[in-house]
Amino acid sequence: MATTTARPAALDGSEDGRGLLTRDDRARLYRYMLLMRATEERALTLYRQGKVPGSYYDGHGQEAVSVGSAYALGPRDRACVLHRDLGAHLIRGVRPGRVLAQMMGRATGITGGRDGNMHFGDRHLGCVGMVSMLPDMALVACGLGLAFQIRREPRVAMTWFGEGSTANGVWHEAMNVAGIRRLPVVFVLENNQFAYSTPNDHEFAVDPVERAAGYGFPGIKVDGNDVEAVFSAAAAACERARTGGGPTLIECDTMRMHGHGAHDDMRYVPPELLEHWAARDPVEAYEARLAAAGIDTAAIQADVRAELERDTEWALQQPMPDPPTATDGVFAEVAEPLGDGEAPWSRWSPDREATHA
Amino acid sequence: MPELTYLQAISDALREEMRADERVFCLGEDIGRFGGAFKVTDGFIEEFGPDRVWDTPLAESAIVGTAVGAAVEGLRPVCEMQFADFISCGFDQLVNVAAKMHYRQGLAVPITVRLPSGGGFSGGPFHSQNPEAWMLQAPGLKVVAPSTPRDAKGLLAAAIQDPNPVVYLEHKHLYRRTKGEVPEGRYELPLGEARIAREGTDLSVIAYGAMVGVALEATEDLDGASVEVLDLRSLVPLDTDAILGSVRKTSKVVILHEATRSCGVGAEVAALIAENAFEDLDGPIVRVTAPDVPIPFSPPLERAVLPQVDNVKEACRELLAY
Amino acid sequence: MSSSPTSGSAVAEVTMPQMGVSVAEGTVVEWKKRVGDWVEADEIVVEISTDKVETEVPSPASGRLAEIVVEVGTTVDVGTVLARIDTTAIPGEPHADEHASPADTGNGHAPPISPVVRRIAEQHGIDLTQVPGTGRRGRVTKKDVMAFVEHQPAEAPLHIESPYREEGPDAAPAGEPLSIMRRQIGEHMVRSLQTAAHCTTVVEADMSRIEEARGRLSYLPFVARAAIAALREFPSLNATLEDDRLTVHDAVHLGIAVSLGEDGLIVPVVRNAHELSHEGLAARIADLAERARARRLSPDEVGGGTFTITNPGRYGALLATPIINQPQVAILDLEAVVRRPVVVGGDSIAIRPMTYLCMSWDHRVLDGALAAQFLSSVRRHLEEWNG
Repeated sequence: MATTTARPAALDGSEDGRGLLTRDDRARLYRYMLLMRATEERALTLYRQGKVPGSYYDGHGQEAVSVGSAYALGPRDRACVLHRDLGAHLIRGVRPGRVLAQMMGRATGITGGRDGNMHFGDRHLGCVGMVSMLPDMALVACGLGLAFQIRREPRVAMTWFGEGSTANGVWHEAMNVAGIRRLPVVFVLENNQFAYSTPNDHEFAVDPVERAAGYGFPGIKVDGNDVEAVFSAAAAACERARTGGGPTLIECDTMRMHGHGAHDDMRYVPPELLEHWAARDPVEAYEARLAAAGIDTAAIQADVRAELERDTEWALQQPMPDPPTATDGVFAEVAEPLGDGEAPWSRWSPDREATHA
Repeated sequence: MPELTYLQAISDALREEMRADERVFCLGEDIGRFGGAFKVTDGFIEEFGPDRVWDTPLAESAIVGTAVGAAVEGLRPVCEMQFADFISCGFDQLVNVAAKMHYRQGLAVPITVRLPSGGGFSGGPFHSQNPEAWMLQAPGLKVVAPSTPRDAKGLLAAAIQDPNPVVYLEHKHLYRRTKGEVPEGRYELPLGEARIAREGTDLSVIAYGAMVGVALEATEDLDGASVEVLDLRSLVPLDTDAILGSVRKTSKVVILHEATRSCGVGAEVAALIAENAFEDLDGPIVRVTAPDVPIPFSPPLERAVLPQVDNVKEACRELLAY
Repeated sequence: MSSSPTSGSAVAEVTMPQMGVSVAEGTVVEWKKRVGDWVEADEIVVEISTDKVETEVPSPASGRLAEIVVEVGTTVDVGTVLARIDTTAIPGEPHADEHASPADTGNGHAPPISPVVRRIAEQHGIDLTQVPGTGRRGRVTKKDVMAFVEHQPAEAPLHIESPYREEGPDAAPAGEPLSIMRRQIGEHMVRSLQTAAHCTTVVEADMSRIEEARGRLSYLPFVARAAIAALREFPSLNATLEDDRLTVHDAVHLGIAVSLGEDGLIVPVVRNAHELSHEGLAARIADLAERARARRLSPDEVGGGTFTITNPGRYGALLATPIINQPQVAILDLEAVVRRPVVVGGDSIAIRPMTYLCMSWDHRVLDGALAAQFLSSVRRHLEEWNG
């Protein structure tokens, strides 16, 4: 099993190489990245205004990873999303207003105030919310894949984790069982260079993408700041999984451009490293490419701004949860399985799409 | 009604649920070709195939974690820990992923985790534990501990069909030593209902799992005293009505468990009684438990640690005379 | 409970003095100090009497009275230790029995009183010092106090419909509104009287056999058992009438009127009473009554009765006309058992424990002949009781 590096897709027309992305798909990829960034910037403002309690974490600089990978998912696929991957939630159909309500601990947030910040998953949209013990959700994704495999369903479970997680034993267990049973799981490894303050050279002796071979399945390293490169790798991995080819590990090389949380001033990051990655901002880079291809990015920006304004207003009006409900819902009365998510990729809703570029 | 061992009853429950409900599958170490360390799943892989009887690698986190994933997709996984002791290796998946899922996201996790528990056979510090108290501190888990073959079957079926994560403690000492009549066919016993194993008026012994038998034996003929034995069966939810009802009747209570003492089930039950039935007490609440030590290997040491029939007799006599 | 003396403490003993050459013994008349009191040297601690003289005994040392060994009224030999004084104690410390129970006073080693015993004693107004204890160090156990309650001639458990209540000196001033419970009881009673065609039939029963058989039990479970047996013979009395629809029940769910003292009464129901022996009935009735008084009955324990027994006899009443507990069709009243001369065996007169069994019944449902037959059956079961 060779480790390969996927090449970024070319830009216009059928130029993603395989005709996977239409012009509208590209506009949507841009829109989701922009929406993720705008939502997180708004959330950070609310945090600084004291409206978001607790701590605050975001995925600034990593937008291409969650957007590019989650965009490959079909409606019946399932996702275990990490706290730097708001884009995946947005693609599955979570509205920014509910994300903001969630972060502010409001009753109408996804967890209704039971859990904070990005610790959520909308079960109606096929997402299982993360826990803080990383990468526990990698095993849950294996279980989702196991269910698909037992029922002979052509479906995929996708899970995200940072390079820090690869140092934990649970990661090994997940990779091992996925390899043994050839589970239909796509592991998206976000190497954002730091586990909190710990740099790569303190985290592993061998690039974790190399380890995939040891588990018996392919590992692919892509430019995590190129949304189409990430998408391309994810689409291929999903296809493999769906057709019985087993799991894939995709390492996305990227950079966490904010601190671990809002409380972290990142003094441990060399300034030149930040400068290097700032020049490769995934949202700005993709905007330039789309603008060059004649896509009206200004209109998308205006559209995202308007959506955020509406949603922020809505979120701020949402009620706080009722204190006596704090003890409700520890146990389930019925077991209702996960629902299906939105799948905006034109492959899943071809009728909606007229314009292949 | 056929007479089955405790082990056969567990095996029957699992087999019948798997036959009747295609969502049910089991996973664990050596449960397939080998039939399980205690042979609970003997013959299962031949009947149900390797997809539904998964011989996992030695990876307890993976067993529980993948079960969670499969459960939220609509399946009903039944995990086997080879020994209850090893749940520590899969603990995070149990207490952080499974237990909190419904509270946080409204997502039900219908998994069953079977824990062959308990000592009495020189299993030593890593094959003899009764780790139930660990689970009691993880809101969202149900915990059951049957003492008879009939209860073992009905409670396992109920655990599998319950929409929550259920920890099912099956005491190894009972596997082949305990026999009893077991109804044929599928049936469920409700989780959270204790059972009066013997009615009495002078003193209540509250126990569960293997200690129910010890309690019955110790108090069968105790100087003519009328001793009630309450089998909790379920530790979460706890049948508080049954506990308080028994206390109100007898006014004297001995709580008996094989697990270690501090912050154990006995402590919880004692606190419950003190809070809710203080004015019904006619003597101190007494606990008979293992002391706070690891379970030792050598037979005389192990006997010294695990509650014996004579310890229970002595405690009951003391309290009766109070 | 007294605390045991700490190690290293010095003790001075108060002994029975020799008040004359020939005096061999003396009796404690009165303790002037309680356990825990501070005592100065030469201060009087106890008054004693001998056949020659009454005198006061001064303390041999300063300290805290740690223990009283000989109780008032007890006669002991000269030289016997009457009390011990802890001479290492410090004045001004908290009183030893400040947190102790009242029953501890006067006895530094009084055994503890358990919560359940204290509660039962309070409910029944029992002085625990009068109850013989069989527990450790003579502790009064729950069994002891329950046995004592059983043999009390007139304690709280009761009944009833009677509007007549003892007016104590603290009776509520005129114009005080009725409690919610009293109002509800009143409404039920009036509604029953307006609904049913009440008739009352009385028979007299000889309770000799029951008296022999009952041991510590009260008469109630025996009458209940007899009534259930009679109901099996005359099922039309085990019935409910609602909106002209008569339901005759197979199972006997027996209501037992329980007094809640000043607050009123409640009628908990012994479900499937026909399946129980008189011992079983006694246990269930005791349990329900106890929980009724503790306000711990669940709603389904006070509804669904098919027949009711009320038991005001302990107050010594001879006859009553109880009001039917709707929608049932009859209520049996157990009155006092009184020893009376009766004619037996033709022409002889004997003294027998007799009682009147009064039953109110609904003339809409049955007639007097059936009521009389039923009561005769109850009487027969009581008089021919064979356990």
